[in-house]
Amino acid sequence: MTKALAVDSYLAGDAESVVARVRVGDPAALEILYRAYEAPVFNLARRICRTVEDAEDVLQETFFEVYRSIGQYRGDGPLWGWVRRVASSKALMRLRRNKYRDTDELFDEAHAVRREDTPLRMDLEAALERLPETSRAVVWLHDVEGYTHEEIAEMMDRTPSFSKSQLSRAHAKLRAWLGEEALT
Amino acid sequence: MMHLTMEQLLAVRHAGSEPGSAESQAHVQVCPECAAELDRLHQRVARLRALPTLRPPRDRFAAVAARVRHDRRQLYFRRTGIGALALAASLLLAVVGRDLMAPPAANASDQLTTVMAESATLEQALRQIRSSQQVTDAYTTRAAASLEDRIAELDHELESAQMQTSPATRSELLPLWRERVGLMDALVDVHLTRAHNVGL
Repeated sequence: MTKALAVDSYLAGDAESVVARVRVGDPAALEILYRAYEAPVFNLARRICRTVEDAEDVLQETFFEVYRSIGQYRGDGPLWGWVRRVASSKALMRLRRNKYRDTDELFDEAHAVRREDTPLRMDLEAALERLPETSRAVVWLHDVEGYTHEEIAEMMDRTPSFSKSQLSRAHAKLRAWLGEEALT
Repeated sequence: MMHLTMEQLLAVRHAGSEPGSAESQAHVQVCPECAAELDRLHQRVARLRALPTLRPPRDRFAAVAARVRHDRRQLYFRRTGIGALALAASLLLAVVGRDLMAPPAANASDQLTTVMAESATLEQALRQIRSSQQVTDAYTTRAAASLEDRIAELDHELESAQMQTSPATRSELLPLWRERVGLMDALVDVHLTRAHNVGL
């Protein structure tokens, strides 16, 4: 949430006029939006998608969608919240498109041998990267971006229970891979 | 004593909004292992939120802008019923895009032919756009005039260069024709932006 606020405050002064200019097709205004949000959009996409190339495509598709659908933004919430929702949908759409690579069970089986070679402790980046794509997407959207299970379920076209179960499985895996010791 | 599952611990994190979280919360109060596990969960989430922001390795705005221009042209051509030109514009975008991405071809003469064809397609598009536009505002007139002046200068340079048609000079023509295509592309864009803004 801190990141989102920082991004919105970047545009706070003239967000309204920038949006108005994008609505009438001003490419310079679209570039202002792009420069303001490219890093958080790419970060979200890269945390959800498996490859940099997929994340770059999501970045591009997000801003094209922003240009096309800016008329639907009513200004009743932070602009970043709206852009982030577009980006999340695009990233999840990309996951669905690549689903042949992301059947969780198959993914887990494919990585079972490698998992035995996993060092006792992994860093968080590596552990996150290692999660199946759907689980990783749920972790990121819920724990970092702050979406509820209901919102994630709607975006993924699944049930809230599915989202909860994915989050729970993901945290169990992260805990094991991170080799977390008792805190006492 | 049965310890909490990960799902129950996650529910405790959002106490009040999850069914059964009150019981789990009470359990955490009396079970040091589960309390420690909940702390680990909080810390893990905090570390996730503190991960550095990943930045795109290259600037993709040019690609976004090209797609927006393409979309705007398609929309304009659809609205004005210039179907064949819509197709030509699509093909042109594909060609220009390919030229931007691909390494230079070995044969300068082939490249020159391609660029000249692109220029001809844009000329045709401009003629259609101009014939369908009734009103032009001051900004469009100024921007278009500046581009047209430079195109006229280029045409003069091309005319002089084309007087000498040796193979060497053909490769010198290529950058001039490319610049012409770039200017024509910008000119089409100026007219289409105006059309978009007035809702044509």
